[in-house]
Amino acid sequence: MKICRMETALLLLVAAVFSTGCQKIFDIKPKDTLDQSQMYQNVYDADAAVLGIYGKFMGLADRYIILNELRGDLLDCTQNADENLRQISTHAVGVDNPYASPKPFYELILNCNDVLENFKKMKVQNKMTELEFNQRYSDIGALRSFIYLQLGIHFGKVPYVTSSIKNVDEVKNPDTYPVIGFDALLDSLIAFTEKLPYKDLYPAGSNLNITVDGYQTQKFFVNKKVILGDLYLWKGNYQSAAVNYREVMETGTQGVAGGQYYSLYKVGWDSNGDVDHYISYSRAGDASTLVQNTQWRIMFEQPFGSSGFDREWVWVLPFDSKFNPENPLIRLFSPVGGSYTVRPSQLVTDMWNAETQKPAQGGSIPYDARGLLSTKQIGGQPVVMKYLYNYLNYSSLLPVNPLAKTGKWFLFRQTHLHMRFSEAANRSRKHKLAWGLLNSGIAGAFPAPGSDVTNFHNTLNEPYPFNFDARNSGSTGVPYYRADWYRNIGIRSRANLVDLAIPASDSLLSIENGLIKETALENAFEGTRWPDLLRIAIRRNDPSFVADKVYNKLIKSGVSAGAASTARAKLLARDWYLPFKW
Amino acid sequence: MNSMKYNRKLQLGALLGVVILMSVGCKKMTDEYNAVGDPMLQKNLFEVISQNQSLSTFSKYLVETGLDKVLVSSKSYTVFAPSNESLILLDASIKGNPAKLKQFIANHISEELVSYSSSTPKKRIMMLNGKFNSIAPFSIESAVSSQANQYASNGILHTINMSVNALENCWEFIAGNAAAPLKQRNFLQSLFRNVFDPTNATVVGINPITGDPIYQKGTDSVYANMFLRNVHDLRDESKQFTVFVLADGGWDAEQAAYAKYFATGTADSTAFATAWNIVRDFAVDTLYTPAGLPDTVVSKFGAKLPINKSSIVASIKTSNGYVYVMSTLPVAPVLRFTTRVIEAEKYAASSTDRRSVTYFRDRYNDLSKKFFTDVLVLNHGVAMFNLRYDQAEIPAIKYKAYWVAVNDFQTATFTQKLGVGSPDALLLPYVNVAANVKGEIYLGEFSLTRYSPVLSFYLTAANSTANAANPLVCDYIKLVPSL
Repeated sequence: MKICRMETALLLLVAAVFSTGCQKIFDIKPKDTLDQSQMYQNVYDADAAVLGIYGKFMGLADRYIILNELRGDLLDCTQNADENLRQISTHAVGVDNPYASPKPFYELILNCNDVLENFKKMKVQNKMTELEFNQRYSDIGALRSFIYLQLGIHFGKVPYVTSSIKNVDEVKNPDTYPVIGFDALLDSLIAFTEKLPYKDLYPAGSNLNITVDGYQTQKFFVNKKVILGDLYLWKGNYQSAAVNYREVMETGTQGVAGGQYYSLYKVGWDSNGDVDHYISYSRAGDASTLVQNTQWRIMFEQPFGSSGFDREWVWVLPFDSKFNPENPLIRLFSPVGGSYTVRPSQLVTDMWNAETQKPAQGGSIPYDARGLLSTKQIGGQPVVMKYLYNYLNYSSLLPVNPLAKTGKWFLFRQTHLHMRFSEAANRSRKHKLAWGLLNSGIAGAFPAPGSDVTNFHNTLNEPYPFNFDARNSGSTGVPYYRADWYRNIGIRSRANLVDLAIPASDSLLSIENGLIKETALENAFEGTRWPDLLRIAIRRNDPSFVADKVYNKLIKSGVSAGAASTARAKLLARDWYLPFKW
Repeated sequence: MNSMKYNRKLQLGALLGVVILMSVGCKKMTDEYNAVGDPMLQKNLFEVISQNQSLSTFSKYLVETGLDKVLVSSKSYTVFAPSNESLILLDASIKGNPAKLKQFIANHISEELVSYSSSTPKKRIMMLNGKFNSIAPFSIESAVSSQANQYASNGILHTINMSVNALENCWEFIAGNAAAPLKQRNFLQSLFRNVFDPTNATVVGINPITGDPIYQKGTDSVYANMFLRNVHDLRDESKQFTVFVLADGGWDAEQAAYAKYFATGTADSTAFATAWNIVRDFAVDTLYTPAGLPDTVVSKFGAKLPINKSSIVASIKTSNGYVYVMSTLPVAPVLRFTTRVIEAEKYAASSTDRRSVTYFRDRYNDLSKKFFTDVLVLNHGVAMFNLRYDQAEIPAIKYKAYWVAVNDFQTATFTQKLGVGSPDALLLPYVNVAANVKGEIYLGEFSLTRYSPVLSFYLTAANSTANAANPLVCDYIKLVPSL
């Protein structure tokens, strides 16, 4: 019996220790991660939240490219592609296709909503200054608008959720969050984004404009005015779109007039191959001397913070083996160290081969050399190279370091900017200006007959944002002129191509077609093709604009004529949105 | 109190019992689970074969050749064992020759695992003697499996109804078999040379001027046959060839017919060049069975051999293809001598280094509707500047010459010429290159009186240093035999 008593006493003791200890035991905060209650204490916590959002955003990189390019006509599946990728390419998407799930977008949107709400609380509690709040709140707000625009482009009708909820599946409840159409979504997004309190970049000296791990962070963050321009362009408000794009185009127009002043986002030359990004030959006319170690190709390899990179790119995020997330693009594109599931379509190769370069040594080289630099043949297979130049050597096509899967996610650059500004200008009846920015620049479109350029090389008689001054009097001209836009050379001229001829009877549609095609040639695989096609199809109320192009890709890729026709019929019936399911 | 203590002891005892039971039982259970229960898997291939009465002859030969040791090893094999009846008629020359017997028996064993089913893919598998046999569902070569898919601890055993002979390969037949005609064999045998090959060479120094390695004498070459090296390696068991061998009469007739096209300074050289140019067309790396032999076989060098089936004296199946002994195989010169197209941008050398004004131009020809690359040398300032092209095995025949030369860079007409043998040869004249002519231009006809193992052609610019007069441009040069 004594034993029994002792046992009971022991049990009681243990129970007592546990019951009193519980609270303290479970109240210990984890030492290597932050509890929510410890978050959002000061501006550094806010910066961490911003970077956290962008880190998660990078997880969408492969999905972004697959949806925006594989649904279009420039990217095609390889033999290695799985059924889900094939469905995306042939517009026969099943409801359980993981690439077509909007869930990852909404997870990020809810994270954004949570951060935005907490930022507001911090401002009320004076944990951030007004300026710090404005910068960070606007950044995350604009990023959310960008993601919603993507949702609208791919899913059409979506629920517009702006409050913080914990469970992403609640988004699917139509009673709480009714779905709204794409046009209504654009109205909501414009209203929200226009009201953001800060629309500039993080200024020098900000904690979010520094160099970390060798990466200058300024280009990591979404450009709010570009997003506004895009929203207005989709909406059909061309004047407001042009105003926003123009402001970004003038980013460099400050301080001392020098290389940066004249060429940042202005598609301007700087007499430096690393900055000019021309298509050039070390001996013009000798096709075997296409410059690869600098000029056009280098923009995809250049490091963050270099002049050439900064003046070309508006929005880029880095993948590096030094930090997460892992680079998904090598797996997607590369036959070396990756799965090589997608390749350039035959259609885009044919598009490049139908172009003509400026004459040199007699006739013209009969193709667009950007094709040779955007893609390469590796082991006899065509490979999209733009995302691989930090991983594979451009010449040997072998990995610099097989295990260091470094790369970049390209989102937006100056050619997108100029092409979309031109699209808005063209729709605002400024056809010649749009044609000039597309071809040989403003001075090329408004040439001067002699050395007196006073009344030429400019569109100063136009109202803002269509008034450009590109006057250049040359070395002997009197008076002497070097205006802000004098170095603008135009996108086709930069690529060594002849000007696009426009029939006299029609300029609006011909120029618009030319702009969309040029974006394909210049910015292929950079994630804008499907939106470009869809935007024009909706604007012109002409579904054949997108349907025929997709059909041609599928026919040339060897898909059965039946499947290609099915895809065409589906798109002709304006059935161009993915099923909203997860 | 007592009963309580008793109960506790009982409880403890029971618990202990369960634990002991579990620990003992577990061991036995896992042992049984993992034990090899299939009696077949406790025997190796040789044991299975030697215990099968109907395979006793094969088993005996395995022991005789020492291959029984192989079949008890832990590597995996597939054995195609011929039944006793099928081995009764085994040729005495094989039985009595240990080397041949081993070759024969090893032809029934493969390191590749083959289990038969109705969907076994048709393919060739390598046997232990290095030769390849064709397998199909339940068959190997012409033998059929009577009892398939018996397994042992180290492989699979199929009993087959007839033996599979280890055939000679194409080269062994041609070079060694008494049934092969003598003259062609002798010529092929004469083609052994010491050929430079640094693979196994010993480096004894480095040339201080050129930086090239210096090899120890005797280690830097291999004794190789020019036919096996430059045409097809007929000893390669993994490939399949079709080879034509001419009977001595037919061989002599062809030599006589072609001697004039391969005229050289001496009779020996002429005979050699003639024989070489005839024989190099006689092997192709495609398998043509007697039933599937086409009317025309195209050789590696473009000659079209007309196959007259009535001239076939013998069709010999070898381990890597078929050899056809032909009484005659006359090939008309027009079928043997092919048109040559020389891509102008792939020149071997230029008379002066003018790379800085040499342009490899990519262009579209709206006449032929094709993309092309040409070469343009402009403003080079050298009279008779020229590019050289080397062509091998040029017979002594008449050729018609053409080129495509697109002058889209100046309006003035200029001249250039094709120099045969030397830059300033007079066989062909200077020809005008007018602006924007996209088609083929006929340059003239020239006759060669001597055969050349290598003949150089030159694209020669005008004899002028004036830039407008001496450009050099060409897409391709075409030489059409004129017979």
